[in-house]
Amino acid sequence: MNLEKVVFGFFVLLAATLNFGFFLGDLGDPELHNAYELYAAIFVNLIATVLKFGDRTQIGAVHLATSLVADLQLISAALVWGYASYVAADGLTREATASVVSLSGGALVANIVSVVLLVVETVSFHRR
Amino acid sequence: MGNPLLVFWTRLFDGDEQRPERPVRRRRVPMASATQASATIFLVLRRMRAPLIVLIVIFAVSTLGLTLIPGQDAEGRPWHMGFFDAFYVMSYTASTIGFGEIPYPFTYNQRMWVTISIYLTVVGWAYAIGSLLALVQERSFRNALALQHFSRKVRRLREPFLLIIGYGQTGELLARSLDALGRRFVVIDQDSGRIDDLYLDSYHADVPGLVADARDPGQLGVAGLGHPSCEGVLALTNDDEANLAATQAAALLRPDLPVIVRTVAPSMHDRMSAFGAPTVVNPFDRFGDNLRLALRAPASYQLLTWLESGPGEPLPKRGEPPVHGHWVVCGYGRFGREVVHDLRAEGYDVTVVEPSAAAVEREPDAIVGLGEDPEVLAAAGIERAAGFVAGTDNDTTNLSLVAAARSANPDLFVAARQNKQASAPLFNAVEVDALLVPAEVVAHEVYAQLATPLLWRFIREMPACGNDWADSLIGKLTHLCGKRLQSIWRVQLNDVGAPALRGMGDRMPLLGELLGSPDDREERLSAVVLLAVRGAEFHLAPPDDFRLAADDELLLVGAPSARRLLDSTLLVDAIREYVLRGRHVPTSWVWRAITGRRA
Repeated sequence: MNLEKVVFGFFVLLAATLNFGFFLGDLGDPELHNAYELYAAIFVNLIATVLKFGDRTQIGAVHLATSLVADLQLISAALVWGYASYVAADGLTREATASVVSLSGGALVANIVSVVLLVVETVSFHRR
Repeated sequence: MGNPLLVFWTRLFDGDEQRPERPVRRRRVPMASATQASATIFLVLRRMRAPLIVLIVIFAVSTLGLTLIPGQDAEGRPWHMGFFDAFYVMSYTASTIGFGEIPYPFTYNQRMWVTISIYLTVVGWAYAIGSLLALVQERSFRNALALQHFSRKVRRLREPFLLIIGYGQTGELLARSLDALGRRFVVIDQDSGRIDDLYLDSYHADVPGLVADARDPGQLGVAGLGHPSCEGVLALTNDDEANLAATQAAALLRPDLPVIVRTVAPSMHDRMSAFGAPTVVNPFDRFGDNLRLALRAPASYQLLTWLESGPGEPLPKRGEPPVHGHWVVCGYGRFGREVVHDLRAEGYDVTVVEPSAAAVEREPDAIVGLGEDPEVLAAAGIERAAGFVAGTDNDTTNLSLVAAARSANPDLFVAARQNKQASAPLFNAVEVDALLVPAEVVAHEVYAQLATPLLWRFIREMPACGNDWADSLIGKLTHLCGKRLQSIWRVQLNDVGAPALRGMGDRMPLLGELLGSPDDREERLSAVVLLAVRGAEFHLAPPDDFRLAADDELLLVGAPSARRLLDSTLLVDAIREYVLRGRHVPTSWVWRAITGRRA
């Protein structure tokens, strides 16, 4: 067992599951989407991105790309959330929540691709 | 034949006789080091993993803590900090900016957490920034950046360029002359100090330089061996092995490129010649040949050294060598053997002096001993000798040999070998009659080969014409162009080089007529034709009544102004008409139509 692989797989999967947890539920209902979960998703996604640094293989490059996409989507979601709750006059409305959640939905797709890559890599791995 | 269509045409219709025996294939030249450079960037990213993760974790934990710990607002009501406020507070706290407690003054719970966070985040930042700076400072990283910079510069070269391997004394001399000719080149050397010197030396053109090993074909590839604009490889390092490796790489990967390589060992000569057809330059061998020429025909030798030294150089002094007599050669290494061989071939009687008995086993009459010793020199017959060669590989020894020999016999013709550039002032001060500086010999020879192919041809054919011929040519040159060598250039009398002479057929002018000045045709341009080439035949220093023909090639030496004037004669019909026939012809079409006179 390779500890590096364990840590890597853990963070990639956790990033996807947290993202999914935040995304789950009625798109526009602020009650169903916890800000702490979004925060945790961003944090774990950033860690996963850094873990993918410096891998020279083709699959490693795609891994990094998916992570960067997920980061971009999640950070935009957080920015929208921050703007809605602090700056906008009418607070966290249904529209604002919907846009935050849909952005995180985009990140979810990227995270799913990442998980698929992880599975493909694992399946195609042969120990000689 | 640069035009691919022309090549295609020739291949298709010109039959088999032009086809090379083995098809020349352009192989892909490996560029291993380019990927090596990007690998170093990956290494940096990989090494930054730990510091970045530490930083992210610290930030996440401290921000999360701030949002969880209960605070109170201005009226004392319980209040939880939002994520944005928490992130904002942590950001300015971590970067030690410290804007204070916002939006409301903190409670003691919050202050305790912020105290812990301050220490954590500052340590995290310091760790991350410290690691990044250490990586940037690291040698391998800087080398990788330099390599990327260099390969980008080489890739973007669009003019033909030469690849110079080894920027020692020879490389530097040659680079200067090539730069003066307006040629582009790329330099690699193993010594980083030499590459620093390259950047300090002022060249007209931008010269990319890289610290690289000639034995690594990948690095040669980065330096432009596989580049379509590369027009030749010059292997000039002090290390024969490295030169051989570079020759092999060039011959195997780019068989179409000319290679000029330097060596001092005759055995290396054969090994190098086995790969393609490189031009091998052996300074000792050349000096031996030059010494023979200097002894047999001092004026020819004077002309040769003058033409090889490049534009702007003064006419060297003509030596007065002894015509016959006895020679003493000190030092019987590779250089000594060459010189002794050449002197004997010229009919001189030679005695060798050499401290090591093993070196002179095949030389029964040799005297074993130190040449500085007056008794040893006396035994070698220095009193009755006509010439003396100080040819060891140590400059201090050579200088004391010269002094000892002169004190024993003041009328000697003295030849010496200078090994290091630093000793040049000392050798100049002792005023030896013939001085060998291997670096200069190589640089001059390579220059003569590269400057124009015709000059090289002239230099090879010139000694056969004899001393008196060379003497009269020097007289002509100094009379017309002065005591300093002017520029040397080539003229092709074809449709491109001389459109004004197009279609003259049998009425082609005599050489003397062509060299009249466009200002006053009675005056002569201050230029001398060294060589005229017509197909396979050639004429050295053709006389004024030499009848030119279409497609002749001329090698001229003369003032830059003469070059411009000659060019105008060759390009402009009206000027040609004046210079050759003395007729004033209108240059404009309208005036020609009116006067009815055509050029």
